[in-house]
Amino acid sequence: MPAAGTLRASPALWAGLAFAAFGADVALALTGAIGKPLALLLLIVPTALLYRAMRLAGGSAAGGACQPKGEVQRRYVRRVMAFTAAYLLAFALQALVAAQSHPPVPLRAALGLLPALAILGVFWAIGRLIVEETDEFMRMLVVRQVLVATALTLSAATVWGFLEAADAVPHVDAYWIAVVWFFGQFAGAVANRVTYGSWGAL
Amino acid sequence: MGCALKNRLRVLRAERDWSQQELADRLSVSRQSVNAIETGRYDPSLPLAFRIADVFGLAIEQVFEPDRERQTG
Repeated sequence: MPAAGTLRASPALWAGLAFAAFGADVALALTGAIGKPLALLLLIVPTALLYRAMRLAGGSAAGGACQPKGEVQRRYVRRVMAFTAAYLLAFALQALVAAQSHPPVPLRAALGLLPALAILGVFWAIGRLIVEETDEFMRMLVVRQVLVATALTLSAATVWGFLEAADAVPHVDAYWIAVVWFFGQFAGAVANRVTYGSWGAL
Repeated sequence: MGCALKNRLRVLRAERDWSQQELADRLSVSRQSVNAIETGRYDPSLPLAFRIADVFGLAIEQVFEPDRERQTG
């Protein structure tokens, strides 16, 4: 039986927890047990768990969790943290304004765009990582990871869209596509591990 | 279908008593990169292959050679 410390350092454990939390969040949202704003806000839990899993996986592939990261990767982490904080702030602001009054459409649209812009910021951070990474092997792993995530997400969105048109499944709001894409990154990391023996850097 | 590369990185490192991390530091790449190249999972670009040869003070063909038995897709 592995020691508690070894278990805590297991990427598979954290990834499992992330997917369980993600599944629970989606299930609660689809059954109407929780509202959409809360479901979106709660996504921070599986995101944080998945982030932990990928950091551990990256650390173990680099020869130990204490392996120093390159400046490019540190910059990427800082950017993602900043946009995640902006996402949470945008949500808090949206909830605050909605609770106090019935804001006019332009204000609602502006507040609705804020979390979307924060998510776009994460896409931008991933793009910058690909541009700034000087290690060609690590860059290739990130590109492969993104391609796997994109292929899975487009496939899922296409299949779901046609099933929805056939009234076979409930309606899912379009922003879930981005959420699925982020979780598809883990599938990309697994594909990298199987093919190249390394999880990658994302 | 192309031809993959064979390399002598493991032998050349052993001769100099370098770890994968030491070689990675000399090349300014990650240890994963050195490991992937050494185990034949990843064929480096031409500029990186020249840098590797330079680090060992050898010509590129003394480090890499075509692996005619292993084909790449």
